[in-house]
Amino acid sequence: MPVTNAYPELGTGPIDVAPLISEALFETEREAVFGRTWLMVARVEELAAPGDYKVRQLDVANTSVILVRDRDGSVNAFHNICTHRGNKLISDHGDQMLGHARNHSFTCRFHAWTFATDGRLHGVPRADRFANFDRDCLGLKRIHCEQWEGFVFINLAAEPATDLRTYLDGMAPHFAGYPYHESTARYRYSTVLNCNWKVALYAFSEAYHVRTIHAATFPSLATLEHTEFHCFGPHSTSGLYVPPVPGLSPTPATAAFGKRLHDSGTHAPHLEELPAAVNPRRREDFQFEFACFFPNTVFHLCAGNGYPGMTYFIHQFWPISVDRTLWEGTNFFRAPGSPGERIAIAHTTALHRNAWLEDTSTMEETHAALKSGVLDELVLMDEEIMIRNTHKHWHDYMGT
Amino acid sequence: MNDNLQQQFADLVPFLATWAHPCEHERSQVRREMDSEGFEAFYAAMLPRLDDLLAVVDRYELGALPPAVLPFFHLLLAFAEAAPHCELYGGSNRVPNSFDAARFVAAHGFEYDA
Repeated sequence: MPVTNAYPELGTGPIDVAPLISEALFETEREAVFGRTWLMVARVEELAAPGDYKVRQLDVANTSVILVRDRDGSVNAFHNICTHRGNKLISDHGDQMLGHARNHSFTCRFHAWTFATDGRLHGVPRADRFANFDRDCLGLKRIHCEQWEGFVFINLAAEPATDLRTYLDGMAPHFAGYPYHESTARYRYSTVLNCNWKVALYAFSEAYHVRTIHAATFPSLATLEHTEFHCFGPHSTSGLYVPPVPGLSPTPATAAFGKRLHDSGTHAPHLEELPAAVNPRRREDFQFEFACFFPNTVFHLCAGNGYPGMTYFIHQFWPISVDRTLWEGTNFFRAPGSPGERIAIAHTTALHRNAWLEDTSTMEETHAALKSGVLDELVLMDEEIMIRNTHKHWHDYMGT
Repeated sequence: MNDNLQQQFADLVPFLATWAHPCEHERSQVRREMDSEGFEAFYAAMLPRLDDLLAVVDRYELGALPPAVLPFFHLLLAFAEAAPHCELYGGSNRVPNSFDAARFVAAHGFEYDA
């Protein structure tokens, strides 16, 4: 039975192309989508100790965000701007940067205003020379910040419509309990793609492309089964299973490195560690749970088949302009316990990066072709339902 | 130890200068510029020795590899990253029909693997 039957509100018709190429719609979605949704911006492991901070560039909101672990253990988010003359408080470089605030404070290099990691302004040279000075009103500009399963989210709205847990809807219980905190070895790749963020997001939101695009790197995925779709409000998820391809054995290096990982307790398959709703029948050919967290995060949870046990990986799509997108792909592995495991993880990382090079190969061409205006609409097959769900809810946020 | 390893793996020593680099960024540069003969020679030499060499590096803790062993650890990392080019991509230094690998930035690329 078609998946879309279960979600009649999504329909089966084509989706419109304008949201992928319209400059005017892009200017609107900056606020209507990215100004109102909860955005995943960090892991708690990046902010382990009081004073640890992360600076995240957010071009879509023309801002830079500081996430910092305060002395009381909470994580605070602030706009990266000194409230005196508007200089960047932390001179960041790159799209994201980690650091540590000495003495639990930040000092602006322009005039040495100093702020505590809870945002309070506590040091102003020659403060007596300011007229009507009220330092209580000049703390850092706070951004709403909440956590779920060790993921740090921000919401740029003055008053978010809901808290994070409500926003995540059925995704929160579906994905709760996975040992995210144990997968601390991370390998992140990024690039700027000359395409709209949704062109990239949609390419990563379906498995229909796998047999063609990944024929070189993952011939073993030819038998994949994409199933168990669930839509939870603007978010969606699904299960990807890969029965063995008859007559296809792993290549020698893949077999050698795979054995090394599977023989170790840490990196062996651990289906029992998956949340109950993920791979509910505990199928051994489970490849990964495959989810879209609205608006810009694609999530994959693995359990040791094709990947080291309890690997998860995340793609994020950060708009820069209507036709430029910062893409980030991050693998999270359990830490290697030996040099051999480190090498085997490097092999997985290389294969994975190569698959991402295959994925990203279509996006700029797609965007360039769509910009021609030749197509007004795109038809979707049944299993491209996660695109359909994202697109519908994008329109809801936009009011279009 | 140095002499021992160099003797025990004398067939792999000629590959150290080209392939054994401590960070992924450097190893990726080598890979992107390698020709198919280079990939095939490296792969043919390494594959039969893979288990033996892994057993050697696994005598040590990650992060505490002695200086004499470290180049062979880096050689193994280079092999892990190069093997798909022989096994899947016909000896090409490119992934077929792919995005420009030089535009991919590895955040961890300059970290020293030790």
